[in-house]
Amino acid sequence: MLSDIRVSCAPHISQRLSTRVVMIDVIIGLVPAMAAAGYYFRFYALILISACVISAVATEWLCNLIRKQPNSLGDFSAVVTGVILALSLPPALPFWVAVIGSSFAVAIGKMVFGGLGSNIFNPAMVGRAFLIASFGMLMTTWMVPATVNVTIPKISPDNKIDARTQATPLAWSKQAIKAEKQARSLAKAIAECKEKAEAHAKAKATAETKADEEKWAGTYAEAMAEAEKQTKAYADAKAEAEKYIKILNEQLKPTFTGAVGGCLGETSAIALLIGAIYLFIRRTITFHIPLAVILSAFVFAAIAYLINSDAYVQPIFHLTSGGMLLGAFFIATDPVTAPLTRRGMWLFGIGVGTITMLIRIVGEYPEGMMFSVLLMNGLTPLIDRLCKRIPAGGKPGA
Amino acid sequence: MKVNTRGRFSFPGGVHPPEEKDLTSDSEIQPGPNVKAVAVMLSQHIGAVCRPLVRKGYMVLAGQKIGDSDAYVSAPVHSPIHGKVKEIALRSHPILGRSPAVIIEAYRYHPTKYSAFELKEDFDVGRYSPEQICEAVRKAGIVGMGGAGFPTRVKIEPDPRMPKEIMIINGCECEPYINCDYRIMLERAKQIITGLKLAQRAAGCSQVFIGIEDNKPRAIEVMKAALGNFTNSDNIKVVPVKTKYPQGGERQLIKAILKKNVPTGGIPPAIGVVVLNVATVAAIAEAVIGGAPLTYRVVTVTGEAIANPGNFNVAIGTSVRELIDFCGGVTKKSAKVVVGGPMMGIAIADLDTPITKTTNAVTVLTGEEIGKAKFARRQTPCIHCGRCLRVCPENLNPTKIAHAVKNNLLDVAESYYINACIECGCCSFVCPANIEVTGYIKTGKNLLARQKKKMPS
Repeated sequence: MLSDIRVSCAPHISQRLSTRVVMIDVIIGLVPAMAAAGYYFRFYALILISACVISAVATEWLCNLIRKQPNSLGDFSAVVTGVILALSLPPALPFWVAVIGSSFAVAIGKMVFGGLGSNIFNPAMVGRAFLIASFGMLMTTWMVPATVNVTIPKISPDNKIDARTQATPLAWSKQAIKAEKQARSLAKAIAECKEKAEAHAKAKATAETKADEEKWAGTYAEAMAEAEKQTKAYADAKAEAEKYIKILNEQLKPTFTGAVGGCLGETSAIALLIGAIYLFIRRTITFHIPLAVILSAFVFAAIAYLINSDAYVQPIFHLTSGGMLLGAFFIATDPVTAPLTRRGMWLFGIGVGTITMLIRIVGEYPEGMMFSVLLMNGLTPLIDRLCKRIPAGGKPGA
Repeated sequence: MKVNTRGRFSFPGGVHPPEEKDLTSDSEIQPGPNVKAVAVMLSQHIGAVCRPLVRKGYMVLAGQKIGDSDAYVSAPVHSPIHGKVKEIALRSHPILGRSPAVIIEAYRYHPTKYSAFELKEDFDVGRYSPEQICEAVRKAGIVGMGGAGFPTRVKIEPDPRMPKEIMIINGCECEPYINCDYRIMLERAKQIITGLKLAQRAAGCSQVFIGIEDNKPRAIEVMKAALGNFTNSDNIKVVPVKTKYPQGGERQLIKAILKKNVPTGGIPPAIGVVVLNVATVAAIAEAVIGGAPLTYRVVTVTGEAIANPGNFNVAIGTSVRELIDFCGGVTKKSAKVVVGGPMMGIAIADLDTPITKTTNAVTVLTGEEIGKAKFARRQTPCIHCGRCLRVCPENLNPTKIAHAVKNNLLDVAESYYINACIECGCCSFVCPANIEVTGYIKTGKNLLARQKKKMPS
């Protein structure tokens, strides 16, 4: 019985853990979010998730066939990509758009690089970016959760859109910022008008002829009227900003539970946190990246809030709404596209959090998780090079 | 020097493989097989290979020196049995491949019983001068018996450039399955204490710590009791360290007990420490007091497949085949025969590989013990999960090094400090993609060494 012995390098035993188990753990971690999506968006969730998963798996199978590579479906990474992509899509998206996005995610986001482990960018985010670029309108039309009565004012000026749609909390936040910005520019304009009026008044006082005096009086009155008009607009803008901030404060609780408009899986903070706890218990992810993302985003939002609380909503809101938690726990932590070292993870997470908040607060888009993750994915090789580990015994020869 | 007093004695990184020590932990050390022939390797240590002192046809006595070298870093080898030199031929060496060995056929029945080593309570190490001790250790051919096989004399001899202050006796035995050090601690505690006192005197260390993993409470108890018998043992302490692989690595043990890192590429004396294995200090006692050369050692023969696993006092040069047969052979389909434990041991192809001074175990593994994926050597792509980084006790980046070696980028591997790797195998153990990370790193180190030899910079 000792005739058929093998030789190989040590160690000869291993932990019973495989890539498949790691991937299945991520899927299990996403189950609460999927369940929340199913609860709030009903059949839309089912259709989108199954469309994404099936097309992702089919695409991977096809790519392997074309590349003449062994079948790699067993590692379940295509399923993870499909689920994450589905959870980051608007619920009312037609299923064929999701199929296109999911196929693109797997084919261009992963397989062209050589399959699992070789891709630079998170495949699901690549697919989503593709859809944003190709189907901008569909990708920004948000559905009201099935459990919510539409009482919240619409933001979209185009009332012809489906009556079941509404803006996401982050869009309101953007509106508040815009209104406040407008108010500020109006305030400037008012000051300018008043200055003009004053100058005219002075000119009137020093006018030599009666005709001149009358002329100056006329322009003065004009400027004053303009200022009054501006003041009214200013008050409107201010009121609008205030209104949005008020709505947002009211919406804080729904962003925890998920009863707000938004992407399929990102609305319910509670569900995402439950899934994240599972991943931590299973040690599938470490705390570094999520913590760095959340902390840096919170600090950024807090600074903005402290500077101008009229325009910026309270910082906690930015954590619970939009793709922040889905991104921090499930997307930025994608091991393939994140740095390896602890220091690198901190840097990566801080980058993701900061860029997200930059886009949300300063940029044109209401949400920036996808862009920030993709940007930092591109920087990951550099970060890994920057944050090399030093051996426990120090550098040799030192 | 300050000693870590807070918390459990441990080091960062490491893994918890299944211990599987129950197979042999309760079996007393028994005499090994009565061998008809032995093959004593001429290189059983780090350093210069011995030159044979005998030729074909010579009669040799048990304990007779049969190979030696003039080099400082080397250790002589001795015959464990009375017999006749059959030939000097190549034999499989677990590490060196084919290596010269002196093959001796037993002259007649030779008792291989271990004669218990009697120690008197009033034993005084002061009777031996440090020079005497070092000389005796050298003459007995003692090398580090924990695995590396560094000549012990070189370790304990005082070096004015690197004075040794602290001695650590390594009784961790973190490797799964193996129990030889554990049994030695239980059965030869007094001998260990004597040996460590001799070694301490020779090296001039002021403090001695005996590090034992806390999964061996009996060994800790026995060693403490044995210490109590010696009156002036104030500077010797038994330290229970955290059970974690590779706690028995000397760099990790030093880190755990002294909270100090040995410099990369350096040796423990660089920070005033010397680490000796319990089996080594036991051999020192025998060598200095009894004048006995190192010709027998305790070997654990274990594994699910072995019919009667146990710990045996085996003549150095006994073949693995003979040892396995002595234990009743194997009962299940076996997949691997490993010299050493499953984490760092070397799988051998040739069952006639002889036991050397550094062989602490022969582990026969079945397919189930190895695991399905590992057994099939099914590797999947690296997903950069970073588990190997988290478990690396030397704080390296194993996956980067392994992939650099795989892509033949040795300079990149070097930039990730490939030579700081202690080859403990933690990275391969945890890898979910089942990649032979340690294997790649070992290969890279070998390639680099060869490159350096060819092109000295």
